[in-house]
Amino acid sequence: MLNFNRDAPLRGVGTPDKDFGYYDATVDGGWDIPDEPYTTAEGSNFMWWRSRMLGGRTNHWARNSFRMGSYDFKPYSRDGLGVDWPVSYDDIAPWYDRTETLVGVYGANLGMPNHPDSGPGVLHEPPAMRIWELYMKAGAEKLGIPVVPARRAILTRKVDERDPCYWASPCGRGCSIGAAFQTTTSLIPWAKATGKLTVQTGAMVYEVMLDAAGKASGVRYIDKASGAHREAKARVVILAASSGETARILLNSQPNGRSEGLANSSGQVGRNLMDTVGSRVSAYVPALEGRPIYNESGAHGLHAYIPFWLYEEQAAGRLNFPRGYHVEIGGGFGEPGMGGYDGYDGYGSELRLNVKKRYGASLGFTQRGEMIPNANSYCEIDTDTKDKFGIPVLKFSFAWSDHELAQVDQFQSAMRELIDQLGGEVTSEARPASELISTGGEIIHEVGTARMGDSADTSVVDRYNRAWDVDNLYLVDGSVFCSKAHKNPTLTILALSMRASEHIAGRLRSGEL
Amino acid sequence: MRHTLIDTKGAGPVVDRRTTLRWFAAAMAAAPLAACGESPGGFTWTPPEPLTGPGYGGDPDLLEPSVPWPLTLTRAELAALTAMVDLILPADDNALAASEVGVPAFLDEWVSAPYPAQQQDRALIVPGLAWLDSESMSRNNGAVFASAGDAAQRAILDDIAWRDRVKPGAEQAAEFFARVRSLTMGAYFTSDDGWKYLGYLGNTPGTGDYPGPTPEALAHLEGVLNSMGLEMPT
Repeated sequence: MLNFNRDAPLRGVGTPDKDFGYYDATVDGGWDIPDEPYTTAEGSNFMWWRSRMLGGRTNHWARNSFRMGSYDFKPYSRDGLGVDWPVSYDDIAPWYDRTETLVGVYGANLGMPNHPDSGPGVLHEPPAMRIWELYMKAGAEKLGIPVVPARRAILTRKVDERDPCYWASPCGRGCSIGAAFQTTTSLIPWAKATGKLTVQTGAMVYEVMLDAAGKASGVRYIDKASGAHREAKARVVILAASSGETARILLNSQPNGRSEGLANSSGQVGRNLMDTVGSRVSAYVPALEGRPIYNESGAHGLHAYIPFWLYEEQAAGRLNFPRGYHVEIGGGFGEPGMGGYDGYDGYGSELRLNVKKRYGASLGFTQRGEMIPNANSYCEIDTDTKDKFGIPVLKFSFAWSDHELAQVDQFQSAMRELIDQLGGEVTSEARPASELISTGGEIIHEVGTARMGDSADTSVVDRYNRAWDVDNLYLVDGSVFCSKAHKNPTLTILALSMRASEHIAGRLRSGEL
Repeated sequence: MRHTLIDTKGAGPVVDRRTTLRWFAAAMAAAPLAACGESPGGFTWTPPEPLTGPGYGGDPDLLEPSVPWPLTLTRAELAALTAMVDLILPADDNALAASEVGVPAFLDEWVSAPYPAQQQDRALIVPGLAWLDSESMSRNNGAVFASAGDAAQRAILDDIAWRDRVKPGAEQAAEFFARVRSLTMGAYFTSDDGWKYLGYLGNTPGTGDYPGPTPEALAHLEGVLNSMGLEMPT
């Protein structure tokens, strides 16, 4: 965790072998996996991040943990777009409390609309804001834009065997002291300690098996080391393979030759694919030049952020886009890297002095916004392409709508106004929203491919993540999302998953399963 | 024995000695370009064949990192590069020169890496170094860039180092220079001495709460905010 980038090949920069850098925790995964392709429909761009390792996606996340709020669970009721969740915030609030208590989340209760508070004593103390965050706060609040403590799944006090953050090591490297949450230092060892867990790694699941009664009886998988086809039997089958892979398994499971796949009588498997809306603005602030140096690493990611602050204006019809976004802010005396020098000119000692002068005086604003599901964004089986295991691959179709583009435009102009208030210079280009918006999948928040609902006709799983069509099949990843709030999805996946687990446990205890 | 995972991942064949020699031969073949002494207008930018060996794979050794690809710059190329990076970031009273913090060797590692981004840089940098020598020889009685002397070296860089006054016809050389400058700065500031020069203090574990800004840093911020008519956040 404490290795220096300068000790790694190419100073640790990302390469096709390790997309997010040499020391990134994801191994044998990434944007492209050799001989395991996916395809995109003509005219579509989509990026699919895959973590093929124990602990999966939890090895690779910013630990940002924002609760979805009452508006987020009932978006259709608020603006007539998309669909409502079958559950309300009040249904899920206790599960957020339990999840946050288990995981360990730092943050603060602020009493803001649609940014729910946690129960008493649940949150850990957030780390102090750094100079650039305080500076941003001072300017932003003059414009009525809040800059408040962020919420992240990072311990700031000791919990069980896990140590609090020691203010070093980028979280993306993985956290062996357990401060930054990942399942490999928590849920998996805890489950193993019960003596009831068997972990089968290197298993490429491709199909859910059904018994004669139509119940799930287990899964079929390929042992990646030997290539052998194997089966794992189960009383309950739970898929948490990531939104794309879960949809792929269901669509590739074709009991009795049902070409629509498993658990898909609604036709919704693979549909409603959503990702977070992303764009950026960067700035240079001369007023921050030459400020006193101190250690600004802190918890490496967000100590503070800008939550969406315009719900009232939106409800009053003064915004030209629905839903919200939050802003992840960056700056500080960060670790010098290989990039960021293209703007310099000339040569000689002056060049070096300029870098020192500008060190710690740059700010970044990253939009993380809500996408509304649309008919043009989905995944399906590409019947022409198989991976090296012989499993048919996914084909993605993806398109942003005007809602997301309008949101990008408003974010860009709001941040430019803020930068002006801060006495800064915008250093990123002004371009049309269609060029500034992220590629679908790029933010790695893809959700929605097997959404939950109140009706078997329009959804894949019920309010307890149980497949309508198969009574003992549960989906507990992002596939069940009905909407993609601007909040990063992991915390909600965890809370829904815990709730589903308790539901399953109750049914097992009662003999129902 | 712990081995790199490259040969078990099907990412490509392990580099054998013959392949390495072939790469060296290809790199050496670029040298005569510089030696042929063409006139300034007659230099041909010939990108080398891209290197296609294996990288470090999807699960490299994080505790004992190593560079699995052979370094490929020739002695002549390294000499030109060293002279160039030391003009970009020279030694002065407060800092070491680029070559003193290992920049040329690192750039060799960079352009020799078998990844697309690095190979794109190689396609610009290897002919660029030949251009430097060719240009120097035609201006300086056959002296290559490294041995042309400070004033002659600066005369060449002055034609290509400033974005808004690139000598007509030297646009490609200017692009080459800008890329080497960016990489040189990256290599410099990621080094131990580069960190010290900037004052980077991070990645240092501590116990207890994050201490936050120092009193001095807070006082400075308060001064800045006051001068802008902004209030210190509470």
